[in-house]
Amino acid sequence: MEEEKDKLSRRDFVRSSIRGACLLGLGGILGLFYNRARADDLVWQLDPYKCIQCGKCADNCVLEISAVKCVHNFSLCGYCRLCTGYFNPQPNALNTGAENQLCPLGAIKRNFVEDPYYEYTIDESLCIGCGKCVKGCYSFGNGSLFLQIRHDRCLNCNDCSIARGCPSNAFKRIPASQAYVFKGVEQKG
Amino acid sequence: MKLSKTNLFIGIVITVAIVISIIIILRTAMTTDNKTTISNVFIYDIKEFSKTDPNLVKYKEISKIKTGFQNPYAVATDPSDRIYIAGDKSIRILDSQDKILSEIKLSDTPQCLTIANDGSIYVGMKEHLEVYNPGGKLITKWNSLGQNVVITAIAVSGNDVFISDASGKIVLRYDTSGKLKGTIGRRDPDKGVPGFVVPSPYFDLAIAPDGLLRVVNPGLHKIETYTYDGDLESSWGDTSIDIKGFSGCCNPVNIAVFSDGRLVTCEKGIPRVKIYSSKGIFESVVAGAESFANTVGIYNPADTKDDSTKAIDIAVDSKKRILILDPVEKTVRVFVTKS
Repeated sequence: MEEEKDKLSRRDFVRSSIRGACLLGLGGILGLFYNRARADDLVWQLDPYKCIQCGKCADNCVLEISAVKCVHNFSLCGYCRLCTGYFNPQPNALNTGAENQLCPLGAIKRNFVEDPYYEYTIDESLCIGCGKCVKGCYSFGNGSLFLQIRHDRCLNCNDCSIARGCPSNAFKRIPASQAYVFKGVEQKG
Repeated sequence: MKLSKTNLFIGIVITVAIVISIIIILRTAMTTDNKTTISNVFIYDIKEFSKTDPNLVKYKEISKIKTGFQNPYAVATDPSDRIYIAGDKSIRILDSQDKILSEIKLSDTPQCLTIANDGSIYVGMKEHLEVYNPGGKLITKWNSLGQNVVITAIAVSGNDVFISDASGKIVLRYDTSGKLKGTIGRRDPDKGVPGFVVPSPYFDLAIAPDGLLRVVNPGLHKIETYTYDGDLESSWGDTSIDIKGFSGCCNPVNIAVFSDGRLVTCEKGIPRVKIYSSKGIFESVVAGAESFANTVGIYNPADTKDDSTKAIDIAVDSKKRILILDPVEKTVRVFVTKS
């Protein structure tokens, strides 16, 4: 009789199993929420070291004007009088005349600093991310101009159409807390 | 009104001509590529500027010397036309027939070198100098010139040693014992010294037969002549992508001077080696971009092994041979006049 009492009834077994499964599920859900809270969102970004300036970023974005823009790492820039990212290869003169500018949209601003140094800044409202200036800069200079997805306008599509069409696989998902890949800066942690 | 046979014939001819014209126009419109003939303004293309007029090329390549280095950095010659090649962690010395005479092992990677008239070998490391005797024995190792100094070129004249510091954008004048005697090229509008503009670590200098210093001001695309006391005597050089000028952020990257005072220059971006008279008049091309198409080349981002940022170095010897150090081919290419 004692042995009979110690034996678990089928009903108790099912009840215990359901309790256990509920606890496990609750734990899982809590764990999921915890992980979600801890984990960083991922965003698309362009690796400037893989970018080949093919020009497709300007065309392939779902936005009317691409979310990819030229950005400038001033710490790499030579502040050159003859900036090959700003001037076309054979300018008439080294001034801001439209005929001398490389950017078809005039999206780079040239400001005098002190003789013979000039600062170049990007007007993102005009830049379409074609990468022409990036190629010009890298061809002769330090490569301080490069392309990046600007997250103030990127829709962060699940299936990024620029990434899909990128011939050099330069696009990747990175944590939103480190949403940019800067040239000349070592990525830490 | 009755139609004459002539009028009828003319009418038929005109009608046939109109029909044929319409057919031709329609066929042309349907078969011609609809793409516009206007070039794509979003494409950066400098290929047209990399073509060299063959009539300007007055030199030919006669031989190649394998450096044996993974990373060759500099080439120099001495008064006896021996060839010194610096790379990896050593210096290889060859005779004028390209036969290896000796090798000097170094403790660090050499960036540049020059040979004094007494045969002493001055080797520039990143921030200090080492001096070896002609037999390859270390004579002196200078103290560091500064933590941030980037030595890119050395020239020796008598008891003076001139060192270009790309980081400080200045030429340092030392004596042979390593004592600083002064600086050259600090911006001074009152004396007309523009100051050196050095956007990248290419900042060469040489001593010309007239006893004055030739220093490249790469950001201004100029070759400037200085006295040893730092007075700017003259300068020349045009900013232009044309063959006669210098283009890009910083060119020319290296120079060498013939015994008659003519100057050999080499450029990066569009790699080319050219000769100018002692007064800066363009004379001829030694090697155009075509000569480097398979080596340094022009920037091609689609090429995963793009080497266009590597700069070539040059040296000349008493026979007016031009030695071009090709860092991609890892060879010294020897050029002589076609005539």
